[in-house]
Amino acid sequence: MNLLALLLILLISLGAGLLLQWWPSRRQAMPTYPQRAPFLGGGLPDTHAWSRYHVRYYPMALLLIAFEMEMMFMYPWAVVYVQKGLVAVMEMGMFLAILSVGILYGWREGVFKWQ
Amino acid sequence: MAIISWLSRLAARGPATVFPALGMRGEEALYRLALNPRIRLVDSPRHASLLLVAGGMPPEMQEPLRRVHDQLPAPFTTLWYQSEPLLELQQADTTRVDSLDALPDALVDAHRNALGGELGVSPRLLPDAPPNPWQGLGDDGRGGEGMMGGVPYGRPMAMPPTDDLRDGLALDILTFRLGPFFPLWPAGLAAEVTLQGDIVQQLSVKSPPFPRPLAPVFFEARERAVPIARLELERARHHLRALFHALHLAGLEDLALDALGLAQSCEPEAIGALEKRFRALAGRMKRRGFFALHLPACGTLGEKHAETLGGFAARAAGIDRDARLDDEGYRRLDFSVISQRKGDTRARWHQRLAEIAQSLRLAAQAQQDDAVTANLEALETPRGPWRNEELPGDASALLEELLPGLEWGEALATVASLDLAGVSQWPRP
Amino acid sequence: MILDQLIWPLLLVFAALVLGPYWLAVLDGLAARSFGLAQAQSVWISPLSRGAWLLTQQTNMTEAPDWWAWRLAPALYLSLAAIGLALVPWSREWVATDIATSLVLWGSVEALATVVIFLQGWSANTLLTLIGAYRYVALGLSYILISMFVLIGVALPAESLALTQVVASQQELWNVLRQPLGLPLFLIVGLALTFRGPFNLADSTDLAGGTSADVSGPQRLVWELARSAMLVAFSGIATTAFLGGWLGPWLPGPLWVALKMLAVLALLAWLSRAFARITPERCVSLMWTVLLPLAFVDLIWAGAEALL
Repeated sequence: MNLLALLLILLISLGAGLLLQWWPSRRQAMPTYPQRAPFLGGGLPDTHAWSRYHVRYYPMALLLIAFEMEMMFMYPWAVVYVQKGLVAVMEMGMFLAILSVGILYGWREGVFKWQ
Repeated sequence: MAIISWLSRLAARGPATVFPALGMRGEEALYRLALNPRIRLVDSPRHASLLLVAGGMPPEMQEPLRRVHDQLPAPFTTLWYQSEPLLELQQADTTRVDSLDALPDALVDAHRNALGGELGVSPRLLPDAPPNPWQGLGDDGRGGEGMMGGVPYGRPMAMPPTDDLRDGLALDILTFRLGPFFPLWPAGLAAEVTLQGDIVQQLSVKSPPFPRPLAPVFFEARERAVPIARLELERARHHLRALFHALHLAGLEDLALDALGLAQSCEPEAIGALEKRFRALAGRMKRRGFFALHLPACGTLGEKHAETLGGFAARAAGIDRDARLDDEGYRRLDFSVISQRKGDTRARWHQRLAEIAQSLRLAAQAQQDDAVTANLEALETPRGPWRNEELPGDASALLEELLPGLEWGEALATVASLDLAGVSQWPRP
Repeated sequence: MILDQLIWPLLLVFAALVLGPYWLAVLDGLAARSFGLAQAQSVWISPLSRGAWLLTQQTNMTEAPDWWAWRLAPALYLSLAAIGLALVPWSREWVATDIATSLVLWGSVEALATVVIFLQGWSANTLLTLIGAYRYVALGLSYILISMFVLIGVALPAESLALTQVVASQQELWNVLRQPLGLPLFLIVGLALTFRGPFNLADSTDLAGGTSADVSGPQRLVWELARSAMLVAFSGIATTAFLGGWLGPWLPGPLWVALKMLAVLALLAWLSRAFARITPERCVSLMWTVLLPLAFVDLIWAGAEALL
């Protein structure tokens, strides 16, 4: 029943979001090409905007993946934490300590900079 | 239909959303409208119901103006403040306003009428054709060598890579022309910009910003002795208006309007309260992160550029030069030059805030002593020194060296911290 | 049974999805007034007339957008907000989706929000929206860890990942006092999740509206609605995780939840007008080198407190 409710909520809100966009403009003519040109204060681009975009935070994204793996262990860990007591503290403490070294190393290497 | 008309009536009760396209000497309209709660100035024509063309439009700007005009979503209309409507539009329902006082009401009326369907919809001006005829190869038009062949959907794909300025990783570059109606940099400035990611790789100025008119008192000061109080108040006003743009860019809307409100009330009668209000504003700017969060510590002017710009930008870079030192009237008021060392965007704002405070203090003191200027040969305008016949000229070309290497937001904050437009030969009315 | 377990909770969720953004707009108007911004219209009417204005405006297109993705992105953002709201327990029984892993599901909502916001900016195929999109990803990748650590912190004393258990564990003392670092850090996550105020990197002024720069009419309305609804959902989770959810004297539980959510929304509306926009680079450094270590401290604090 819970998941059915979730599914219904997902579908209804998605439908409402699309309907609210489609219904008011259903009879609208296609905007002209000049109207569709990207807004650049009266200027025009040479090319499409889609490109092999230079993302400057790429190393930071890699660092995130290491932490995301850790999160997978952390969810079940949180449930049994009180039960296991100090053992759980030690285990996760070690894990986090190692990852923190990663942050420090990354910081030194300028991972958080737009280099 | 009943629902539609009910919706339009409800919509018309909201503030008039205006995209300002500023021409020559159009900025007075902007400052007046920004303070009016019934008007909302927006930064993209997609978010507006009204196109306000303010000020004279040189012939070469008419094509970009047509482009911006065509980018407003229907229903919309245009309003022309001290400007001649485009020829194509003279048959359409356009409104011309020449008085600043009548402008806000005219805009609110136009907004209401446009949404209520009482005005004819402004026609599209440019032909409805794709930027380039379709020239693709293959089924999707994206064939050719390395995806670079053809013109899929009317434009080529991004340019092949060139070496990156920061890390050497070469990826696609995007080249485009920005302006002259980009509302987040000086009016009239148009440039060809090349980005790699969000870093400016190259910039070349295609047309300089419109010359800025100064208050008449600066012109009088070259002809006869004028009260220093008036001169200094106009100087403070000039810098406060620049601060309005920078605070808007930083997302501090209420402080931006405070700065503008302060600029509009820079009058001799209110001089006592001005200093106090400005101190409060400066304190709030600092506490709310204008320097710490928003301003980049980059955009440093080299010595050569600082020299050409002169004025506060030079003093922010450590050049202790000020034409007011050569004036007996100022020396009697214990005028001393303030300067910073670093010459970057932050230093320029520190400098400008310090100079506003100094101007307000000088104005208060000069009003008490009835101090007047004594030197007609050299004058320090808010933009830089004015000696002999030569007014401070346009300096936008230095952006070509200053901006490459900066991130987009840093680049715009840097432009906002500079005063690049030349000084117009005619005073502000 | 169907009425109790399906219809009522569903109606509650959709009521919150519609009324929440309206209340947020009103609170935002009041916050604007408290900062001295004059308004010509009453704060109660102005959200409505803005909505009507956007509904009557033409929907824009760009030259060659990813048409489906562009129209889908605002609707998806809205449904993510709705899923978030579905997880909020209004009382011990009134929960639309009461599952054992609701904290994990909220985590995935936060992660998917980044995808959806990126999609909105990218699929227009125009320059300013594209920059906004990529900028937001930098922010999205940075706040997600802070959010996770802080939420794991509230799961420790509850010994469960279900939000109803999290509320039940606060019977004696609310988490806002038990884990003092948690709520402030989580509020920052909320601002980042809906790119408001200092963290408005996606729809910022320097990009003339960023991912919204080339969007007009009903599409923009749905986008703004979704953005507000997401903040409402966030305030529901914050209420549940830190402010004791339905717990409180005198009033019925659902009313307590609504009141606490409004309080969180008011605080967020005020915060989002209080600070200047942070530059993307500084934002990433701040998140990783200041706020993430603080989230570690919060977790250690929560762990120690749970064992004592």
